[in-house]
Amino acid sequence: MIAASGLRVEGRLRDVSLELPAGCLAAVLGPNGAGKSTLLQALAGLLPAEGEIRWRGEELRRIPFLDRARILAWVGQESHADFGFPVREVVAQGRYAHREAGHGEDGHGIEEALAAFDLTDLSDRPVTRLSGGERRRVFLARALATGAPIQLWDEPTSHLDVRHGLEVLELANGLKAQGATVLMSLHDLRAAHCFDRVLVLHKGACVAQGPPDEVLTPEVLLEVFGVKARLAQDLILELPR
Amino acid sequence: MSLRAVLLLVALLALALLASLALGEVHLAPGEILRVLAGGGDAMTRTILLDFRLPRALVAMAVGAALAASGVLMQSFFRNPLASPGLLGVSSGGALGAVIAFAFGWASLSMWSLPLASIAGAFLATLAVLAIAREGASTEHLLLAGVAMNALFGAATSFVLTLKAGHFEVGGQILFWLMGGLESRTWEHVAISLPGVLLACLLVLPSARALNLLAMGELGAQSLGVNVKRLRWELIILSTLLTALATAVGGVVGFVGLIVPHLLRLAFGPDHRRLLPLSMLGGAAFVLLCDLLVRTLPGQLRLGVVTALAGGPFFLWMLRRGGRP
Repeated sequence: MIAASGLRVEGRLRDVSLELPAGCLAAVLGPNGAGKSTLLQALAGLLPAEGEIRWRGEELRRIPFLDRARILAWVGQESHADFGFPVREVVAQGRYAHREAGHGEDGHGIEEALAAFDLTDLSDRPVTRLSGGERRRVFLARALATGAPIQLWDEPTSHLDVRHGLEVLELANGLKAQGATVLMSLHDLRAAHCFDRVLVLHKGACVAQGPPDEVLTPEVLLEVFGVKARLAQDLILELPR
Repeated sequence: MSLRAVLLLVALLALALLASLALGEVHLAPGEILRVLAGGGDAMTRTILLDFRLPRALVAMAVGAALAASGVLMQSFFRNPLASPGLLGVSSGGALGAVIAFAFGWASLSMWSLPLASIAGAFLATLAVLAIAREGASTEHLLLAGVAMNALFGAATSFVLTLKAGHFEVGGQILFWLMGGLESRTWEHVAISLPGVLLACLLVLPSARALNLLAMGELGAQSLGVNVKRLRWELIILSTLLTALATAVGGVVGFVGLIVPHLLRLAFGPDHRRLLPLSMLGGAAFVLLCDLLVRTLPGQLRLGVVTALAGGPFFLWMLRRGGRP
């Protein structure tokens, strides 16, 4: 589990507190510029933020880099690549913090991570020769390969086609079932019902959090997103069983 | 695969070394060279080999290895395959130091004064880089600061050069130096460059894995356990040291840090665990061979001219391909 209180980043995040238990699938929602990416980066210790972030009662940012990398994995919104490392090598980077002295990465879970994101056939291809969505899956697979119990994903489903987007959600559900905490930012409010908890950010502050059906009221939708909710017959897309 | 690549480059380097020891105004047979290296041979051959060709070859190797390794580090640091060792102004700082030494006549005082003046100039440039980096500047900021410093040092160099334009001898020396060259390099130059280059190369190798992660993105690398802040400092310090040493003994030699890593990346992939040692070997071999051309071809060829003649067209071709292997 991970708990943060009074998280504050100058000009970007105002006093955000949250508590996510183990085995929890959570989403950060909010319009552009609301602070979703900032929150995820702050939780991952990737940018200076005031406040506390606790993991099992310990201040997360005081845990040394290598140990922290075994606890928490983060996937950014950017999935640009300048150098043509093969897909498998990039995914293997997820094991950086798991190397044994003199033996390189332990290689654990790499094939599984490749398979989980449908990358097995692409595993020898340079990442520079992938589409944006494929590259996004490579970075997600790298985070999965870490085996970290806390997964922070910044808009993992953007750039993905419908099927791979749904697969990401299903995979996150599987991680949750294994006791992981998965927190992802999201733009598609219609997917919110898949999550245990949602946090709604607006102008850097958390305006509501809780189960999606309690949080996403017509008032919140109008105030935060400037949209009116109307129940209608919708096209429901799911993975074939 | 990795071992084969290393063996290939070692063989290439050995051949280049043998060729540069054997060829010249006096051709020496491999047997003679071995005899001299074992402590025998006649006095004449010993002088040619031990006082002229061997120190020059060692300096060439140090310069090549340093520039190629420095290029790899800068490319990883800036996450751009087109970054070069001189990007932060270190080689133009070194050039300014040397030009001042020529202009004020220090260069003729001792064997050490010219390289030391160059190292002082490069050190000044490095201090400026570090001051900017210490304020937590982003990679883009550092890049722009490098552009500014290159312009600044370049202008100062031109200024000193125009002051000495009437003095043909000094002006000529300065121009020659700015085009890079390894003629009449001695064991003093070996002592200045080789130990530092070897040390920096050894220090950088353990970071190869972290460099792979850095090349895929700073934040991602940090989240996977790389101490990015420390790694960036290491990269700046070691790459400036390597460039400064190479400039001090070889003058301004362009394109080595660009084309050697790039060619090897094309051939053997971007993994720094392979790329770093291969670039050191390949850079050493490349400069040795270019210097061999300088020595054996007729006319007044300069080392920097030869490397640029080989590198310039390659650079343009790379740009046309988008610079992304």
